[in-house]
Amino acid sequence: MKVLFSRKILLVAGILLAIIIAYLFLSGPHRVDYSADVKPILNKKCISCHGGVKAKGGFSLLFQEEALAKTKSGKYAIIPGDPSGSEMIRRITNKDPEERMPYRHEPLSKEEISILTRWIKQGAPWGDHWAYLPVKETEVPEVEDDWIKNDIDKFIYARLKEEKLEPSAEADKTVLLRRVSLDLTGMLPSEKLARQFLNNTDTNAYSMLVDSLLASPHFGERWASMWLDLARYADTKGYESDQGRTIWQYRDWVIRAFNEDKPYDRFLTEQIAGDLLPEPSDADYIATAFHRNAMNNDEGGTDNEEFRIASVIDRVNTTWEALMGTTFSCVQCHSHPYDPFRHDEYYKFMAFFNNTRDEDVPGEYPAFRDFNDTLRQQFDAVIRWVKENASESQARTMTTLLRTWQPAINSNKADSLVNAVVIGNNDIVLVRNHAIIKLKGIEMDNVSRMVCRFFTNKKGGVLRTRVDAPDGPVLGTNRLDTSGKIQFLLVDFPVQSGVHDVYITYENPGLKNTVDALYLDWFSFTEQLPGKNKPGYEANNNAFRKLLTADLPATPVMMERVPGQKRKTHVFERGNWREKTKEVEAGVPGSLQYAMPAGAPKNRMGLTQWLTSKQNPLVSRTIVNRLWEQLFGTGIAETLEDMGTQGIPPTHRELLDHLSWKLMNDHRWSLKKLLKEMVMSATYRQDSKLTDEMKEKDLFNRFYARGPRIRLSAEQIRDQFLCISGVINPKMYGPPVKPWQPEGIWLSPYNGAKWEMSKNGDQYRRAVYTYWKRSSPYPSMMGFDAPQRNVCNARRIRTNTPLQALITLNDSAYLDMARHFAWRMKKEAGNNIQQQITKGYEWMLYKPLPQAKLRVLTELYIKTVNEFKKDAESTCEVAGFNDEHNNPNDAALVVVANAMMNLDEVIMKN
Amino acid sequence: MTQKELNDQRLLREAQDAVRHMHTRRHFLRESAMGLGALAIGSLLGGCGRRQENVMSSIAFDPAHPLLPKSPPFAGKARSVIYLHMAGAPSQLEMFDYKPELMKMDGQDCPGSLLEGKQFAFIRGVPKMLGPQAKFAQYGESRAWVSEHLPHFSTVVDEVSFLKAVTTDQFNHAPAQLLLHTGSARLGRPSMGSWVTYGLGTENQNLPGFVVLTSGGSFPDAGKSVWGSGFLPSVYQGVQCRSEGDPVLFIGDPKGMNRDIRKASIEAINKANQQEYEEYNDPEILSRISQYEMAYRMQIAAPEVMNINDEPAYIHEMYGTRPGKSCFANNILLARKLVEKGVRYVQLFDWGWDAHGDGPYNALNVGMINKYRSIDKAITALLLDLKQRGLLEETLVVWGGEFGRTPMMENRNGQQNPYKGRDHHTAAFTLWMAGGGIRRGFTYGETDEIGYYPVSGKVEAFDMQATILNQLGFDHEQFTYPFQGRPFRLTDVSGKVIHDIIA
Repeated sequence: MKVLFSRKILLVAGILLAIIIAYLFLSGPHRVDYSADVKPILNKKCISCHGGVKAKGGFSLLFQEEALAKTKSGKYAIIPGDPSGSEMIRRITNKDPEERMPYRHEPLSKEEISILTRWIKQGAPWGDHWAYLPVKETEVPEVEDDWIKNDIDKFIYARLKEEKLEPSAEADKTVLLRRVSLDLTGMLPSEKLARQFLNNTDTNAYSMLVDSLLASPHFGERWASMWLDLARYADTKGYESDQGRTIWQYRDWVIRAFNEDKPYDRFLTEQIAGDLLPEPSDADYIATAFHRNAMNNDEGGTDNEEFRIASVIDRVNTTWEALMGTTFSCVQCHSHPYDPFRHDEYYKFMAFFNNTRDEDVPGEYPAFRDFNDTLRQQFDAVIRWVKENASESQARTMTTLLRTWQPAINSNKADSLVNAVVIGNNDIVLVRNHAIIKLKGIEMDNVSRMVCRFFTNKKGGVLRTRVDAPDGPVLGTNRLDTSGKIQFLLVDFPVQSGVHDVYITYENPGLKNTVDALYLDWFSFTEQLPGKNKPGYEANNNAFRKLLTADLPATPVMMERVPGQKRKTHVFERGNWREKTKEVEAGVPGSLQYAMPAGAPKNRMGLTQWLTSKQNPLVSRTIVNRLWEQLFGTGIAETLEDMGTQGIPPTHRELLDHLSWKLMNDHRWSLKKLLKEMVMSATYRQDSKLTDEMKEKDLFNRFYARGPRIRLSAEQIRDQFLCISGVINPKMYGPPVKPWQPEGIWLSPYNGAKWEMSKNGDQYRRAVYTYWKRSSPYPSMMGFDAPQRNVCNARRIRTNTPLQALITLNDSAYLDMARHFAWRMKKEAGNNIQQQITKGYEWMLYKPLPQAKLRVLTELYIKTVNEFKKDAESTCEVAGFNDEHNNPNDAALVVVANAMMNLDEVIMKN
Repeated sequence: MTQKELNDQRLLREAQDAVRHMHTRRHFLRESAMGLGALAIGSLLGGCGRRQENVMSSIAFDPAHPLLPKSPPFAGKARSVIYLHMAGAPSQLEMFDYKPELMKMDGQDCPGSLLEGKQFAFIRGVPKMLGPQAKFAQYGESRAWVSEHLPHFSTVVDEVSFLKAVTTDQFNHAPAQLLLHTGSARLGRPSMGSWVTYGLGTENQNLPGFVVLTSGGSFPDAGKSVWGSGFLPSVYQGVQCRSEGDPVLFIGDPKGMNRDIRKASIEAINKANQQEYEEYNDPEILSRISQYEMAYRMQIAAPEVMNINDEPAYIHEMYGTRPGKSCFANNILLARKLVEKGVRYVQLFDWGWDAHGDGPYNALNVGMINKYRSIDKAITALLLDLKQRGLLEETLVVWGGEFGRTPMMENRNGQQNPYKGRDHHTAAFTLWMAGGGIRRGFTYGETDEIGYYPVSGKVEAFDMQATILNQLGFDHEQFTYPFQGRPFRLTDVSGKVIHDIIA
């Protein structure tokens, strides 16, 4: 109790001091600033009852017009210029506990009352939160010092002076080499590059190093790891049985995009709306898998619409959190409690995403089918032939059909079923004898073919396709036979027109009505391959059929529904999708003070124009803040996920704006240029040692009087050890791999999948390629704070736990790397143990091993050798195999290597 | 608390960082049998005569010592929680909720009124009603109804409070489990065990504070997210303890690396890290040193507690354990050992209760009989054993599934299932709690004649969560974590403490 008391006193004293300073500062000619002075009080003391969630007494402080409106009692809470007439001031100063606000809470302090009073007196000017105002060009502080290397440093230096702190000198070359390599490529540099830099006495040496690292193909792998947390990328779908999902091509797309330095505006455009680009390339489609990373629920009996909507909501929340550092999810249920977003604005924004074809079915349609080289050639030839012999537009139709099987209707959308039932995961229609399946309102203009994907295990069935009535005109009669595989039925008929109901009937003489006979997946109403009487038709038609029916891996992508099937979007009452209220059109929140750019379409493409406009206040700030956090350990605004009024205010707001402006204008959205500017700064290059003064004044390094010193990420730790031990397989791209993992980690229900360790060097690929199972991610990465990636993860909070120590000490994957490290030391670093350890240390850190540490490690070696001399079996176990290393010296070297890989300076970025 | 305030507090705490670090070091010296850690201490202890002060009295994340024990806002009755989750959702109608009227309807078509506007996971068309597949009798002074499937448990009904009208709005396993354990049917929120260890820390720093034990051959349907930390720091996620392989992942030294070698290597690492500290002066290094010491101690403590072989024969008999196997009874004995050792929250999942009747293994009259048998002795033993150790009063035990089962017999895809089974049912199911200040021998809530809808005492997942937190000393409405600009809580915007079941 006593402790609590003293802490409170300290805290209160601190706050008082701050208030007194603020008071001194504000009194006199200074005007009260709404955002800096007033809004924090309102957020903290008033808005939980008078804001977006509740508006007690008919009074809300969320929007200016609400705050200045008449309240329920008929009085005005705020009368600009007239504090004594304002009900709000009367109530916060009232002595009667039943009247006084905040009701049944501590009264406002004198200072708070003074601020609010003066604010009203000064006309109660409303202000916008800094992060919601467009980014303007910022003046660079006019400071001079030899320490300064670029504009970033001027901002930092000016602030350090204010805080009475001195910047640190540049870190040692070896420290910088490791720091900047881990930051830019997530791993250690090649020996050649390291040597080049360390031996280069040119003043440009560091700049040249940075350029090499930025140009390295490993750059993309490192930054993809960051992006994939935001994109909630994983190799499985998430719920229950957590089945696999083939979506790694998206991961590769991200790596390539970073390596190409795809401008950030373009990077976002392709991911949000690549499918809506004029002539989308394969890569443009794959980019849209960004939002197909939302989870999919395959659990038996789920309501697909519920989880389709859950995905759409996830896309909205991810778009705001990842791209705009704003918590939008609150607005799902009610207006934002603190920030100026209205309830219906959530659903307007949702309307951008509510018209895609995906419907939470296990097939994850629409998916972009991955043709191998042979099929790709055939595909190109067929499409070329259609272009030459029919039309461009028909070629596009055929392209879409072959690449995505779209447009299609999932069988579960059947309007009514007779002797047929939607089974299992609510995705497949199970058909029995005498079944009638009705597909309602099919647009049949230009349609001359129905494609149906199905499976049957009963011979002799006849499927009839009719229009308008169960006994209406027959479009086709087809016998179905068993093949043990999924099959495709192509029902061809003369070109139709108009909108019709389609009836599909199934008859199988001799089959009981209760026997399960046929399983239907989807239907596509399309045209036959055009150019029927042109030369080469038959060959192309055969190729077409082969391409259409080939069983291929496919990446889920975004595609819009056909125009006639556009979904309506409604506001959900309190966020409940079953309670739909008014209908809304796609739109962006009004409070950010700039609308959709003129002429922008009201779809995802228009949305990207809004996002990447220079007027958008959030997109550039968010990415700048994020990149800064990746290098320095903390964002300029610490809460990467929330730059709103409740987020932690930025330590260097002008710097954030300066860099954001520069990114959009000078750097033309080039992230490599922005990163280069950051790592070239003196701020970044500082030594990271703490002085006692820094510890006292700035333990968390918020003012940057020293360089960053933070624990490596889960990925960096693995990749670094792969480098040190020399086993790293630099192969890029492709399906995910499975490095060593203990038994029994995967136990999803209804899923027999096993973790089978990759071979032939694939077990030594970089962390970014490790198979990511949502319900059971790779345990050693989880240990080092990697998220599950079920939803967008804007920030990894670093922790330090004994379980992390156990990973790098005991995980067999790390022991294996320690062995290789030991063999490398033995082979390449001389004959004597001290040389070996010294050299090994240099491989890790590039700097000489201090004598005292050498002594410690040598002693460990000697002690361990003696232990192993007594125990041949343990020796063999630690050495791994009964080979040339099966001797006490080598086994002891493994123990030393394992210890070296656990040194603080190795786990940390210095 | 706003993020800003949290940050202020953090800064304040960090200002006292060094003091705490010294405490940790001394603490280690005192508890460490082998004196590991003595090596790097001198400079730290020198010149500091101040007594360690416990500065962790309010909830805020301290990255250096996230799991130190903290006091709750008010004195709670319970010190720890054992949550027994029967994943797949057991049938209340064959265990606790006795419905003789349902027997009379057995085999009849389900009345349309029960199907109107309803959505089921697997029932299609008109199913048949299915009477209770068990005989029932009343037991104990409380005269609680228990079926013949739980002969042992029927002897301890006077220890528990039954909640007969628990309800949920999720009819699929994964979302329903998430709702129950994280307060949201969607992934991404922290689990109850994470909240509790975040709020209370844990009493034994040599063991994880939040332990998860699974049995039944599969993980729960919602995967590791039901013990995930969501937006709380990952240090609060549940740590799975296992009966095969390493009891805690990576806790075992590599083969051939004996304890002496491991000790020597941790000593070397810490010595070198101490030298690094002298150069860099970064408190994070001290933290790392103490984490390695803790890891070393955990390597001894965790296998010790996870080993049930040393328990006396009568205990094995009592629980029905099968040493060397992975099973629910073993896990439940482990749960007792863990709370005894000061673990805060022990979460068990036993998979395989999804009694659809589409195969013998999940039929009410075949597979489920084995499931009842596999838990009956063990759950009974747990209550009795905790009681005889004086631990029941401070250990809150919760038993239940994620939803209930329909009074109708399942007719998957519109056809009668080959075995007797029931579909998922959200409107009413049974859960019980015991110990930790919960009323003894009580039944709260009632369902209608066929166990379809609650009649009285309806309880939601949020109410149950609010009650658990209450027993631990938290007002669920005040127990929040600032994230994305707003205070989040386990019970979101709902939850009422079920005062009737509190002793």
